[in-house]
Amino acid sequence: MSREIFAIADTCFLIDWSRYRRRDTLFRVFRVVFVPENVLAEVRSESTIAWISRGLAEDRLSLYTPTRDELEEARMLVEESRLQPRIPSIDLPEALCLVVGRRRGYVVLTENRGALLAPLMLSEYRGVRVWRALEIILEAARIGALDVDCGDPESIFREYSSDTLHIFPRRALESAVEELGRICRERRRGS
Amino acid sequence: MQGEEERILEEEREARELRRRMADWGFIESQPPRVREALKYYIEKGDIRMASRLAGMGIEEFRELLRKARIPVVV
Repeated sequence: MSREIFAIADTCFLIDWSRYRRRDTLFRVFRVVFVPENVLAEVRSESTIAWISRGLAEDRLSLYTPTRDELEEARMLVEESRLQPRIPSIDLPEALCLVVGRRRGYVVLTENRGALLAPLMLSEYRGVRVWRALEIILEAARIGALDVDCGDPESIFREYSSDTLHIFPRRALESAVEELGRICRERRRGS
Repeated sequence: MQGEEERILEEEREARELRRRMADWGFIESQPPRVREALKYYIEKGDIRMASRLAGMGIEEFRELLRKARIPVVV
């Protein structure tokens, strides 16, 4: 079982993920998940704050204070996204996560489509790894942090959708389910 | 890149269609004008931060409203 070390999360990701019944799986995929200060300021509900506070107390979440330089690059990224009609808008909190992903190699956790598309559309951000809940669940299954029902691999994603009213695009979901099928076949061969 | 852009546009169309189809339009139409228009904007654009600003709400509060309106986040 291998584990990623650092990730950085934006608001949209945290508020959905915190409703997921297996939300602490996140800490089996990453050693530390950073929460930027401006993201923390956007979280208001008692349940989300409670989950974040517990994560901070257990050193599984950590506050990220951006440097002036990172914020400046994030502002430039916001401006660039506004000039490219092909990219859905990227706002400062997501932009900052992308900048930190680029500079420090952290995995960016987001549910913002603009942020998700940035590595495909903007050459400076090509190497940044941007994950949605879909990729985290898949990775958790791959490293054995989540059990997969090999008779119904899609159920692992249905569970998340049911808890959050979050739907994954059809093709991305099909490809993830196919990957889970491959993992199941490998495990059967290995056992 | 052409194929990639096609795929992205197809996902945008799929997401918009799902939001339109699954939304509780009775709930949406019963909301005060500012909130109603923000929900409609979200259905078309999928931009939660802008929609929450239009509604005059915090992003998390608006996400809860989307659940009540049965509008899925499709990402």
